[in-house]
Amino acid sequence: MKATRIVEAVLFASETPLAPAEIARASGDLSAKEVEQAIAELCQEYEEEDRAFQIYPLGDGYQILSRPEYAPYLERFDSVTRTNKLSRAALETLAIIAYRQPVSRLDIEDLRGVNAAGVLRNLQERGLIEVVDRAEGLGRPLLYGTTGRFLDHFGLRSLEDLPRPEELQIALRSGE
Amino acid sequence: MRLPAPSRSRAVEADDRFIVELERFQGPLDLLLHLIRSQDIDIFDIPIAEITEQFVRLIEGVEERLSLEEAGEFLEMAATLVRIKAQMLLPRRDDLLEDEDPRSELVRRLLEYEFFREMAYTLADAEADRARHRNKGYIEPRRPPDVSELPLELSLDDFLAVAVSLPAPPVRTPHRAPVRPVTVDEKVDLWLRALKEKARVPFEWFMRRWRTRIHAVMSFLAALELAKRGSIRLRQERHFGTLWVYRGEGDEDS
Repeated sequence: MKATRIVEAVLFASETPLAPAEIARASGDLSAKEVEQAIAELCQEYEEEDRAFQIYPLGDGYQILSRPEYAPYLERFDSVTRTNKLSRAALETLAIIAYRQPVSRLDIEDLRGVNAAGVLRNLQERGLIEVVDRAEGLGRPLLYGTTGRFLDHFGLRSLEDLPRPEELQIALRSGE
Repeated sequence: MRLPAPSRSRAVEADDRFIVELERFQGPLDLLLHLIRSQDIDIFDIPIAEITEQFVRLIEGVEERLSLEEAGEFLEMAATLVRIKAQMLLPRRDDLLEDEDPRSELVRRLLEYEFFREMAYTLADAEADRARHRNKGYIEPRRPPDVSELPLELSLDDFLAVAVSLPAPPVRTPHRAPVRPVTVDEKVDLWLRALKEKARVPFEWFMRRWRTRIHAVMSFLAALELAKRGSIRLRQERHFGTLWVYRGEGDEDS
């Protein structure tokens, strides 16, 4: 059986992103590197054949997803996942955690000027953040960090995909 | 899925009159930043007196509109602004370094917050973009129609007419449902009658048919009784296979 097709079958059957090492479990003579190669081939194939789906990198893994231009058609069907848009408070809190992790609740509250307890609990329940450590010092406060699901939720491969502060260029925008 | 360039337009809304809903803002820093950016004020040279006055006016009655904690956050910022304003009025000494401007700490906080506020918009764009990529299973399997949701083919008038004509519901008194008595002998007759018509019947045939437990129990006892008498024979071809009931040699009725 051709490696490319095996990888395709595994990706097709999965509803969540799979890491190359996980996909390699499908066959004894398949290495993670060969999986990556197969994925690259498949991507090109889908592109050339103008398929309605593509393989996207999400966090450590890959997943077959429909291409964005077909979203309007899919949205006419019933689905459970429609209402998962995050609030502004949640997005700001996530932004802080993404850039400052590991970060404590107090630091987050200081940065946003508002209480963060409720938002943090909500983000934790949704699996977008997790407690990664405890700080030294008084009370040893919990420190939060982002999860793999965070990357998935925003379609990121890694935290490096986030724009760097200097790219945003807002800090000095009217001060000059 | 690449992150789009952050859009700035949303951070600054051009309105020169400050009729704002406090609830729309993510706390005092957000509101303060809105005041500064929407009036094109140089953040490094904030006219503290003016901004303080606007801020205080906007949060008037805040404790009635927001929760105690949220109101406290706005009031704390108001206090900070008033304190900075007072410090600005004090005569400045020449030997003070520039970074000791009483506003500098506030400016630092505002800029830092603005960065994350902007990032939140970037994340929102990324989230929307990701949401346009659907995974397998996105479309839910079709559910069988829920009977309770089927339309009632009856008009309200029809329904009321029937409802009115009905007698008042009787007062409920607890009562014991009588169990129809059944004896082993009756069941013995049943077994024998069945075996008269057929050479064999499956054992569970008689066990399954009874709605009440007492019937099944009596059937079972009757079968035991008949087997003991030799009126029936039981055969099973393999473990857990069908248990067949045959007419026995000692059956005096046949």
